[in-house]
Amino acid sequence: MSNYKAVVIGGSAGSFALVLKMLSKLRPDFGLPIIICMHRLKHIRSGLAENLAMKSSMKVVEPMDKERIEAGKIYLAPANYHMFIEFDGTISLSTEEMSLQCRPAIDYTLSSAAIAYREKMVGIILTGANEDGAKGLKDVADKKGFTIVQDPATAEVPTMPRAALKLVKPDMVLSPEGILDFLNNLQ
Amino acid sequence: MDFKQFLKEFKNRTQYDFCDYCDSSISRRLQRIVEDTSMSFEQILDKVTVDEGFKNKIVDDITVNTTELFRDPQLWISLYKTHYQKLPKSGTITFWHIGCSVGLETYSNLIMMHQMGLLDRCRSIGTDINPRVLNIARNGEYAYRFNMFFRDNFDAVMKGCGFDAKFEDYFDIDEKADTMRAKPFLLERPKFMVQNLVTDKAPFPYRVDMVFIRNVMIYFNDKLQNQIISMIHSKMYDNAALVLGKQEALTSQMETRFSRMGQYYTKKPSM
Repeated sequence: MSNYKAVVIGGSAGSFALVLKMLSKLRPDFGLPIIICMHRLKHIRSGLAENLAMKSSMKVVEPMDKERIEAGKIYLAPANYHMFIEFDGTISLSTEEMSLQCRPAIDYTLSSAAIAYREKMVGIILTGANEDGAKGLKDVADKKGFTIVQDPATAEVPTMPRAALKLVKPDMVLSPEGILDFLNNLQ
Repeated sequence: MDFKQFLKEFKNRTQYDFCDYCDSSISRRLQRIVEDTSMSFEQILDKVTVDEGFKNKIVDDITVNTTELFRDPQLWISLYKTHYQKLPKSGTITFWHIGCSVGLETYSNLIMMHQMGLLDRCRSIGTDINPRVLNIARNGEYAYRFNMFFRDNFDAVMKGCGFDAKFEDYFDIDEKADTMRAKPFLLERPKFMVQNLVTDKAPFPYRVDMVFIRNVMIYFNDKLQNQIISMIHSKMYDNAALVLGKQEALTSQMETRFSRMGQYYTKKPSM
């Protein structure tokens, strides 16, 4: 099976439809946990998980605090909580201050995952309207994790991938189709 | 010196015991403090011993002080339809908000009580480890524009409960100063008191009908969670409600003493 233990995806504006599309085309036996941190509008706090669950053959959960991460499940950062990945393979949540006006902050999820998984993870930054996630992806790269940034030319809002490209020289810059191919061919 | 040694020494030098806080989150908080102050653990310890203001700032930075008006509107609507309908029909109703921070949840609950015509029977207590946030809670004044989503939460809850209420019924808004302040009839209700959950018993002699402790125990390890829930349990009437954060659950050791009622728990009557 794969050298990786998890795939961690961050995105904001425009990323929801994109993630839905990607997950609906992911092979059903995808064997890794997928951890997703997406900004959402304050008034759209529910429905994301339900929508994802309808499109995906994998089980979608908004994790409880200290929930154990299992292969083949999709973990979606709950609205209004930061989501951290821990050494012991669990998720912890917090209501700490917002970071770059964001809660959940993609930086926190990616940076904590980088410490927990080191080189055994894939970090992906998708379309989005602010700079959250860039620092986190740099931490992933520094720990030799595999990094992918969505090609800004294909992004609905290119601010987030551009910010990531400023800080990180990722292993790959891909279109959404390219990212999907990459995931489906992960061995 | 690692962060665990720091916490032990911090406990010896102050009255604050953070030793049973959850390792991962407290180590992140401490790392941020070290970065922000550009001081080592040793230097911080030396300074907290002699500088009261600095000590308070460190406590302020270690603890998480988030609260919102009507956080999770769906929860409040479901409380209205369930436990609020079962509150005592006469006499005093006692509410306890633990880790209440700047008091916005305390005021949210009192707004619900006012809508239900129960405000005059309410005894509302907010406790927190941090005296600074309690002063803000007592004053009941908050930034306005930054918190516009409070209005959305408020409207969602009022609509969901079928109440005909306006935000301005409860808050005086000063656009120029960019502040909103709880109206005097709300402000006079709650009592805010310091309580260190690790070391102190409840700082009042009453039993309670409803306890809110939302997104507080996510920062504690299991041992401390069990200790605190036991302390709370002993203060609750039979069938009183315990409300946790949306993504929180009781430890397996504690949950046998409660019944799960969807978004909250009730205390099982003693046999």
